[in-house]
Amino acid sequence: MQKAIRIGALVLVVGFLVTLVVFNAINPAGPDMDTWNAAMSKGDKDTAKHHFVMYTDIFCPYCDKFSDAVAANLEDFEQHYIKDENVLFEIRVTDINYVNGHSNNSKPAGIAAYCAAREGNFWDYYYALLAQIFEDYHSKGIGVDKTSPKIPDLEKSFFYHVAKDIDGLDYEKMKSCINNEETLSELDTNTRKAQSKINGGVPRFVFDKYTADGFYGNWNTDNDYKQVKLLMDAGLTTK
Amino acid sequence: MAVRKIAETVIDRLKFACASTGLILKRPKAILLFLFCLIFFLYFLTFFRDGSSNWQLIWSGLPFDRKLEVAGRIFPAMLENFCSFYGITIILLSLLQSIIIMHLVFAWRHRERASALDGASTSGIGAVLGFIALGCPSCGIGLLTPLLSAIAGSAAVALAEGLGYVFTVLAFALLIYSFVKLGYTNYVTILAAKQK
Repeated sequence: MQKAIRIGALVLVVGFLVTLVVFNAINPAGPDMDTWNAAMSKGDKDTAKHHFVMYTDIFCPYCDKFSDAVAANLEDFEQHYIKDENVLFEIRVTDINYVNGHSNNSKPAGIAAYCAAREGNFWDYYYALLAQIFEDYHSKGIGVDKTSPKIPDLEKSFFYHVAKDIDGLDYEKMKSCINNEETLSELDTNTRKAQSKINGGVPRFVFDKYTADGFYGNWNTDNDYKQVKLLMDAGLTTK
Repeated sequence: MAVRKIAETVIDRLKFACASTGLILKRPKAILLFLFCLIFFLYFLTFFRDGSSNWQLIWSGLPFDRKLEVAGRIFPAMLENFCSFYGITIILLSLLQSIIIMHLVFAWRHRERASALDGASTSGIGAVLGFIALGCPSCGIGLLTPLLSAIAGSAAVALAEGLGYVFTVLAFALLIYSFVKLGYTNYVTILAAKQK
């Protein structure tokens, strides 16, 4: 009887492994070039050879370290990865920290990000918003890790004031969009979609066949950019 | 009254444990072991401090020299631990673990094998708890979150936040318990050896 159980278990395990191999063989996982919001991506979708996706929450400090480092080295990043390596670079903004009860700011920040995307100026707004959060909080050690003081709940005005100095972004439209939560449904939909694709949290990086969770940095953009490059190169070299 | 007596006993034993740590640390081999363990645990915990991204880089398709770069970047990061409360937690966990291992080896070599085994299992549980409580559960990059995700799905992040703190406290409690127990046993051993 015991022998039969052992053989049965062995057959089950081997069968499962064979099924996995067969499934992977008939479903080759090439890079999926679909973007959730085209305005939140960089690169040529039609000719790109690689697809980099970052699942993020604007009030996740580890995500912000990555994006701050990219923003500080934008020219090099765009030249090397987006142009030379032909990467489609996409950011998928969620309010997962709001959904999980960790930060009330994630929701208005997410709404504002989608408002800026709707106005066609996501990237300038995104980097300006992160710079403002860094200046007001992260640089002072607030909201930088789980033991640091939390960033207080911010007024909606914090998010539309950032739009004031951005060329090509209509301040009044941004103000109205944020106040009326006009992009809330898109944020909710994308957060729900993201929840099924991430291991419970952000940042999650999916770069062709390479995935990574978390970002290792220290808020020094030179240091953190080295980590960004390691992550990007890991995505380019993992087959 | 009974609680007071227990507390006094625990404090006394803690004092003896600290005294025996000082006595053991006078031996060059013990200092070497302590330093080796301290650097090892500090490196290991710093490596996983912000989630599993470094681990994933090591297993990626990066060439060998870039993987060495990933491993090498941890050394300066170990010093950055002194700059935050979170980092200090990592340093304290490493310190406690290193002292306990030093006591474990001492107890084992002085035929206190039952105490050594007991201490090893308790401090082992403490070390594992401390390790999985690392990271930032609120951002979902703690090592606890992926573990819980498999069981609790998307509710895992909220769960991990609370459990992370509980695990950290439990880890410290178990490590301190092991330290007091082993340290006291070793103090008695040292004292007995002196009297002989």
